[in-house]
Amino acid sequence: MSAAQKISYFGLIRNGIFGENPVFRVALSLCPAVAVTNTLKSGLLMGVAVFFVQVMANISISIVRKLIHARIRLPAYILIIGTWVTVANLLLAAYEWPIYKEIGLYVELIVAFAIILSRAELFASKNEVVPSLFDGLGMGLGFMFALGAISFVRELLGNGALMGYHVVNTHPVLLFALPMGGFFAVGLLMGFFNWIDIRFFGGHGASGAGH
Amino acid sequence: MNFKEIIKITLNLVMVFLFAGVILALVYAKAEPQITLNKKVEKENALKALIPAAANITSMGTYQPLEDKTAHYYKAVDAKGNVLGYIAGSYSKGYSSILHMLVAVGTDMRVKAIKILDEGETPGLGDDIHKKYFDDRFKGKSLDQLVVVKDVDPTKIQAITGATISSKACTKGVRAGVKFIMKQYGVGGQTTGAMGNAAAACPPAAGSGSNQPLKGVK
Repeated sequence: MSAAQKISYFGLIRNGIFGENPVFRVALSLCPAVAVTNTLKSGLLMGVAVFFVQVMANISISIVRKLIHARIRLPAYILIIGTWVTVANLLLAAYEWPIYKEIGLYVELIVAFAIILSRAELFASKNEVVPSLFDGLGMGLGFMFALGAISFVRELLGNGALMGYHVVNTHPVLLFALPMGGFFAVGLLMGFFNWIDIRFFGGHGASGAGH
Repeated sequence: MNFKEIIKITLNLVMVFLFAGVILALVYAKAEPQITLNKKVEKENALKALIPAAANITSMGTYQPLEDKTAHYYKAVDAKGNVLGYIAGSYSKGYSSILHMLVAVGTDMRVKAIKILDEGETPGLGDDIHKKYFDDRFKGKSLDQLVVVKDVDPTKIQAITGATISSKACTKGVRAGVKFIMKQYGVGGQTTGAMGNAAAACPPAAGSGSNQPLKGVK
């Protein structure tokens, strides 16, 4: 990631969405990518919650990066992430009650999302506040994009619906609404984005956990 | 690790804890009253939505639909004091969670409406029990019609495709509520079993429920 310092802010955001997309390229946080993506709505809402936590965690970790002793940096990062997750959870419960009822259970699990800790360790702890902010924005958007794409496929195939509205009137493929369908959807989309990368951008495709 | 490092690590952690604590305390102080209000409003709205014509819904006491689960039951009256129906809270054990629901029963001892307040069933499958299309299947059913079937049958409860266990659990909870209300307010006042066993007495499999004797009701 040392080259990242020379990349523009726009490049950082692009990197988060395409170059190092948390789910499709780096293959991190696949658990939520399967758990909360059976409907488009919950997928996108989860993406928004992760976006908030990723940005706030990146900023705060970047601010305190020189004060934290290397030996306890991970517990300190987890604590900071946990704080922002709790904040997101409380705010959702207070001001967006219907949404909280839908995804509240999963929001608390954001603490353990690998992608957030990964960006804290790999980027925010080594960079200034502003680049960290943009890295957080990019990764948050990338995660939201990934969850949106997976849940789009799964709700369409598994329920024949989008955002809860029926769009196709055929017998749905129940498999895609079940957890194992999540793995299929993630795998197929990952392959699709690899194909685009290799075919049009001359890349080598993702190998998973590219760090 | 020397003494200086230990001090630094300790200070680090104390600092992070302090900041996290302050942020959380501020957000919590701001959010908590709103969250409590949300919960209260939700419950009141749910009660009101079940019997919209009611002018007053008052809690009449508690009973036990499941072991170690206590639910309130309510009486709904209109502005003149006529009884419109009863609402029983109810719990039942689902596929992956405890279902918490409200069951509105009319004076004719038929289900008026149900509302799932809380569940943690499989998203996209079992959690369809809180959707209108499924809840509507309970409307107008009497106790002996509250039986889960897998085919299209408007006189029974048709299970959700791929979520038979959740459908059965939901029906079980509704049965427990209806049974209790019948026992309290039904004509003839049934006396079978302790009220704590209301849920346990439900049929374990589809079809067997209709064979249960229903003595003295109506």
